[in-house]
Amino acid sequence: MIDPIQAAALADTASAAGTGASAPMPMADRFMAVMEREIAQANSQMVAADTAVQQLAAGEPVALHEVMLQLEQAKLGFQTLVAFRNKILEAYQEVMRMQV
Amino acid sequence: MDYFSIFEISRTGMALEKARLDASVVNLASMNRSTAPGTAPFRPLRVLSQALALDFQQQMDRAGGTELLQVVEQDRAPRMVFDPGHPHADAKGFVAYPGVDQATEMMTLNSALRSYEANMVALNVAKTMAARALDLGGTQ
Repeated sequence: MIDPIQAAALADTASAAGTGASAPMPMADRFMAVMEREIAQANSQMVAADTAVQQLAAGEPVALHEVMLQLEQAKLGFQTLVAFRNKILEAYQEVMRMQV
Repeated sequence: MDYFSIFEISRTGMALEKARLDASVVNLASMNRSTAPGTAPFRPLRVLSQALALDFQQQMDRAGGTELLQVVEQDRAPRMVFDPGHPHADAKGFVAYPGVDQATEMMTLNSALRSYEANMVALNVAKTMAARALDLGGTQ
């Protein structure tokens, strides 16, 4: 049911989101592509929630639960992004602490 | 299969219950609305819906749930009340009121509320699970 996470998945998604060039992207660019996609997704969820709230405030016939649902989705998406960022930062700091 | 498809499925469930509430509210509001003889009386509304014909995997992949089909008018005989002085009374002195069954409508209101809550609980559990998953490997 649940697809296992593979190392190749990062490269695949990055190349799908990236330039589409045949040459493999450098690791930093791949990482940036994945990160940008995640940020764009969280942002679009927040924009959608914002629009729904504005519509509700303007008295348009929007179902209340849908607005709340979109707010929750935006919240969850943002929390995921923050968790993602925390993990990456943690890993970075771990590397920086290495004795050389 | 992500948490957003669970949200979407619960959303369709809540939309259906909201529609049932809407229909019942209209029915109850029109319950004592008399109609002049010869004009068509108000007919009680009912919400028709069906589950999307998808298996479990498809439900989760494509965010299934229920599909709101339509709001139909029920073919119920009008309630005839003997009231000869009423301006809407017919030749025999009967006034036609919509065939709304108040007990049924009250039950619909209750069950719509409870089902809405059930959808809400399912959604909250999914939300809590997602939040718990984000705590994985955290400091606490």
